[in-house]
Parts: sequence; structure tokens; C-alpha cells
Amino acid sequence: MTDKPNLNEQYTEVEATEDLSLGSYVSGGTLQVAKPKWYMPEWLKALIALIPALFFLIIFMIYPIINTFLLSFLEDFNWVGGSGSSFAIINWAYSLSPDFRGNPAFWSFNNYVNVIADPSFINSIINTALMVVVSVPLTIVISLLIAVCLNSIKVLQGFFQTVFFLPYVTNSIALGMVFNVMFSKGGPINSAFGLDFNWLLAAAGATRWSMFLVITVYSVWNGLAFKILVFMSGLATIDKQYYDAARIDGASKVKIFARITVPLLSPQILYITITSFIGAFKAYTSVIALFGNGAYDFGGTGGKEWMTVVGYVYIMMQRAQIGRAAAASIVLLLLILAITLVQTLVSKKRVHY
Amino acid sequence: MEVRIENLTKAFTSQKGPEVIAVNNMSFVIPDGKLVGLLGPSGCGKSTTLYMIAGLHKPTEGKIYFGDEEVTNVPPEHRGIGLVFQNYALYPHFTVRQNITFPLDNVRPKLSKQDKEAIAHEMARIVDIEPYLDRKPKELSGGQQQRVAIARALSKRPKVLLLDEPLSNLDARLRLQTREEIKRIQRETGITTVFVTHDQEEAMSISDMIVVMKDGVVQQIGEPQHVYDEPANLFVAKFLGSPAINIFDGEIKNGVLYVDGVELEKNALYKKPRRIEDKIELPRELDEKGNPIGEPKYEIKVTEKHDRPVKVGIRPEAFRLNQEAGLISVKQHYIEHIGRDISIVGEIAGQNASHIKVIIPSELRVKVLDKEVSKFEPARFYVFEESGERIK
Repeated sequence: MTDKPNLNEQYTEVEATEDLSLGSYVSGGTLQVAKPKWYMPEWLKALIALIPALFFLIIFMIYPIINTFLLSFLEDFNWVGGSGSSFAIINWAYSLSPDFRGNPAFWSFNNYVNVIADPSFINSIINTALMVVVSVPLTIVISLLIAVCLNSIKVLQGFFQTVFFLPYVTNSIALGMVFNVMFSKGGPINSAFGLDFNWLLAAAGATRWSMFLVITVYSVWNGLAFKILVFMSGLATIDKQYYDAARIDGASKVKIFARITVPLLSPQILYITITSFIGAFKAYTSVIALFGNGAYDFGGTGGKEWMTVVGYVYIMMQRAQIGRAAAASIVLLLLILAITLVQTLVSKKRVHY
Repeated sequence: MEVRIENLTKAFTSQKGPEVIAVNNMSFVIPDGKLVGLLGPSGCGKSTTLYMIAGLHKPTEGKIYFGDEEVTNVPPEHRGIGLVFQNYALYPHFTVRQNITFPLDNVRPKLSKQDKEAIAHEMARIVDIEPYLDRKPKELSGGQQQRVAIARALSKRPKVLLLDEPLSNLDARLRLQTREEIKRIQRETGITTVFVTHDQEEAMSISDMIVVMKDGVVQQIGEPQHVYDEPANLFVAKFLGSPAINIFDGEIKNGVLYVDGVELEKNALYKKPRRIEDKIELPRELDEKGNPIGEPKYEIKVTEKHDRPVKVGIRPEAFRLNQEAGLISVKQHYIEHIGRDISIVGEIAGQNASHIKVIIPSELRVKVLDKEVSKFEPARFYVFEESGERIK
């Protein structure tokens, strides 16, 4: 390559003749940012960012779960009445010493045995399961249909979205009171259908199933708002081209919904299914808000007609049966865990991310 | 199926801002069984045109015919078209087989399972994706997805196949391969095919005919080589060809074309003056508030210009090296080696253009290597008015 030195010469000539402002840039070496004395490790940065969340999670979630778990094995524990400390962990520490209150049978499964043998607990499980099985699928299907309809209209979309979202920002006790009035003897439901029937008051002729109907309507309606919101945001992420493609492929609206929209919305449907099941298993407010006679009235003449599992827990606490309340909570936890696990396993095949 | 477009216009209205005219009064005919490229820079309305042919966009004005049948108001599913979207729009939850057979599920009378399976296999064979029938789209490469999209569009045996920027999501090597595939598939099936692209090389290489568009207006229609050789205006000349055509400022004086004071050519065409028609609004009577009364009136003022600045376009490959007597002197900056050819990047004294490109065969490398200035003769050049119309 005889021409190489020539080229170099040309370049140096250019540098010499023209005063390029880049001259100092090229000769000055890499510019450095001031070096810190030490580098904070990544885990510490992560920890600092996590502290606020961890603080509250530990105090209000993790500690209570552990505490409840331990309490469920403590018989005759009642810190309200004066026996034991409210910190279950301390009780457990005491229980390690053999002479503690002279009761070596301190740890036992007695609470679980008692709870499962309790007919009102079995009843509360059946009640809760009924509500879950009926209201959850209903809400999901209705909210999905409403979301798809809302998504396809242009006029008044914002207005209807607001209307459907209103229940979400309304207090559920207040909603319950409104439903109570609506389904009362002189209420609008009766006048609309020309009926003369008391839906909620057992003493005035309400049956178990009339109460269940109102509970279902209330739960479905109350649950719509959030689900519609989630489905609408899910629909917004579906590429419009899939619909164009399906249209060109000649698919009908129903077919597009069943074979394109629903599968593409499956992550949202899974999320909503799991959270709705969990939420429905924790039902309590919906029932007591409807009957409106205070925290332990679940309808019926005995006030226990539609007692839920959470309701059972509260009643046990009211009766200072903390151990049983804890055991019932743990049973509920295991139940929800099992169902969620099944859902996740099923979804592995059905959900398309 | 011949596709005929007559006076097609599409205006998009929005609540905010003015109406946007994406396609303006467009007419052309796509002959039966041809592969046609709609070519233009982004935002020129080429995709809008395609979607109007597909029926997904409704034209504001104008008519579309498939053969003798007018389809302007026929919904897309009844037009007998297949559309391949830019990002393929393959259903992510279906397998390749399900994607290909989905359009067949909606055919009446219903096809049997065996028929669908047979079609799926035939389509997969045509686009060469047979081993992947049971995979999901995301398990395929971009090129394979592209071919599945074509297979899906073809499975209903459409009369017209439409492709929206079919190669823009592929890497350079795959792009070359796939464009040949598209040509092969189109040849094999004989389906009238329209595809949209902004890549002139892509359009030129496989199309039987190209339609060059700019700002919703058709600039030129024709066979690719003809459009390249005889651009109708400055825009087409600049848009086709890679590297791009070199444009110089020139001047017509007394019927002679000069570039940079050098006489390039005498031609009778340069003696013809340029007619400029100006529309001038005439003054009107005013009412008491000072507003003009009645409809505005105009007068057409014609001016003729003989001596005027013009643009001269020379394609990089149209230069002939002539170190002794070349008319155009190029100050060389550097030389690019492209293998078969070399290209000289340089400038011409007195020209505003920052650099020009000259492509010459690489055998001539030794003749230009150490030179600061090389001289060339233009073998072929185009002359345009400053407004863009071609003079010669």
C-alpha cells in the first residue's frame, strides 16, 4: 500500500491548515466524572427503596399472619379477658417452659377440631361457597360484556364509564343501605314488579333464597366497576389490527369475541378471576350492610342465615374465642390458597400472554 | 382480477385541527395478475390507498372496481381480498395451522376438516413453512411470521392480495430473501398483488409496475426501469435510485444549459420559455365596515421566462471518467469501495450541494486514487425546472 502515507499526509495537512475546534477534544483524553469514595451496593439501594413498603407489610401483614398462625394452636387464649399476652410469640416462648400455667397441653389442634366440628362454621363455609360460585362467574361475564360494549361505542363512552365506575368510589355500607331500602316492602323493586314481598326481613316472610338473591344482585353490581375498568384497559392493549384481520377473514362479531377478544384478554380474565374468588371468599361487609342490624346480623330469624366465614371469625372474636377465630382464618386461608393454586395451574394451559 | 381506481380521495377529519387529505384524486389501473408496488415516502398516503382497496377505510370520494364490479361500498370480508399487515397481526394464541385455517372457518358452505387441513398444507408448502404448522407465531422468526401472514392471506384464495410494508420488519438479508419469495409466490399463484413500501429498491426489484406517490398525489406510474430512466419530475428522480441522484444548480441562458459557468448542452428545448401562471385576486368594492362585497374575482397573469435557474440531475452511475477533457471537475473527499464499483464522494466547486457521489467501475480505481480533482463527462442527465417539472 504505497498510497497510505499519502493519505495520512493529507489528513495532517487538513489539521494544520484549518483550525478545528475539535483539536483540544481529540488531544485532551477522556473526560472524567468525579469519582465517589465508595459505590453503594445494589442490594442496599434496593433495601432503601423497599423500606417504606416493607415496614407496613411486616407490621400489618407478615406479623399478623405469623401471629394468627401461632394463636390458632393456643387453647383458651384470651388477651381480651386477661390470659396471655397479645403477642402470641411471647406466649409461645412461655409455653416452652414446662411449668407454664401448669398446662403442658398448651399447643394443640383443639381449635381446628372445634371449628370444623362447629355446625355454624360448616354453614358459613357453605354460604360463602354459594356466594362465590354464583356471583363471581356472573360478575365476570357481565362486566366483560359491558366492557366490550363500552369499548365499541364512541358516543357517551366517557359518561357510561363514569356511571359504571361510581359504585367503586361509593361506600359499600351506604350501598347496602340503599339496597336494603330498594328491596324493602314498600321499596322500588316491589312497586316496579307489582310485588308485595319482604326480601330481607325474615320476621316478615323473607326466605333464605330471597335473601340470597338480593345478596347476589348486590355483590354482582358492587363488583362490576373494578372489573369493567380492568377489562377496558386490557381491551385497549389489544392491537386493532387483529380485529381488522378477523374482519377480512370474514369472522362474525360473536366469533371475533369468542375466538379473538376473550383469548387475548385471558391475562386480565385470570387476574380478575383470582382476585374475585379471594374477594368473594372474604365476603362480610356485603351481607351485614344489606341486613343493616349491626356487625353480627347475617339475616334470618336467628341472625345467622347468611353468616360467612369472615363473619364466623368476627363472632368468635366477639365471644373472646381468639384461638378459634384464628383457626377459622387459617382454614379460610388454606381454602383460598388451594383454589388459587388450581386456577393458576388451569390457567397455564388457557392463558396467552 | 383487474383493480381499477377512479378519482379516489380520502380526507381524514378530526375534531382538532384541519382536515387532512391523505389521498388526492387518484386514478390508476392495476392489470390482472401483476405485482404492483405503491411507493412513496412515509405519510404520502400509500397505506391509506391500500386500506381503501382492502375496504378497511372508506373513500371520501371516488370509486374502486375489481374487474367490472364496483366494490367501493362492499365490506372487506366480501371483497375477496387477502391482506398482510405490516406487523403481520398473526393471532398470537393460535398455532400456525389455526392462523392459516381461521379464514376458512368462516367460509360457507362449510369446508370439511380434511379440506381445511389440505389447504393449510398447500399454503404452508407455497410459503415454505410446512415444518412449523404446530408452532405459535412467537416461536417463529420474523421472516417465518411474515410467510405465515402471507399464507393466511392466501388461504381463502383471494382475488387480490394486499401487502402493507411487507418487508419493513425484517433485517437486511432476510429482506432480500423475502422479497424474492413474494415475487415467487405471486408468480406461482398468479394473484393480482399490491404492496406498499417506502423502499425504492424493494419496489423496483420485484414489481411489474410501480406507482410513485407524494403527499397523496400520484407522481408517476410505470414499469420500474422506465420510471427510473425517465422520471417525470424532480421528486421521482430524487426518490428512485440508491445512492441518490446528484442534483446541481444550473442555468439556462439564451437557450444554452450551463452548470457552474460550464456550457453543458445546447438544445432547442431550452429555447422554450417557462410559462408561469399567477392567480391574482382583483380588488373589490368594500362595504361600510371595510369588508369586501361579493365573490372574489381573479385574473390569470402569465409570465414567460427564458433565462432562468434550473436543476440538473445526474445519476451517480451516469458519469464517465475523462481526466483530460471532462466537463465536470469533482474535488475528491474520499473513495468508497463497494466491490464491483467504487464510489467517489466529493464536491463540485461553486455548488451548494455538500457532496456528490460518482460511481465508476473499480478497474478505474488507479486513475482516480491519488487525484485531488477528477474530471468527468455526464453520459446522461436530466434537467428540471426549479419547481420540479422535467424539461429534458
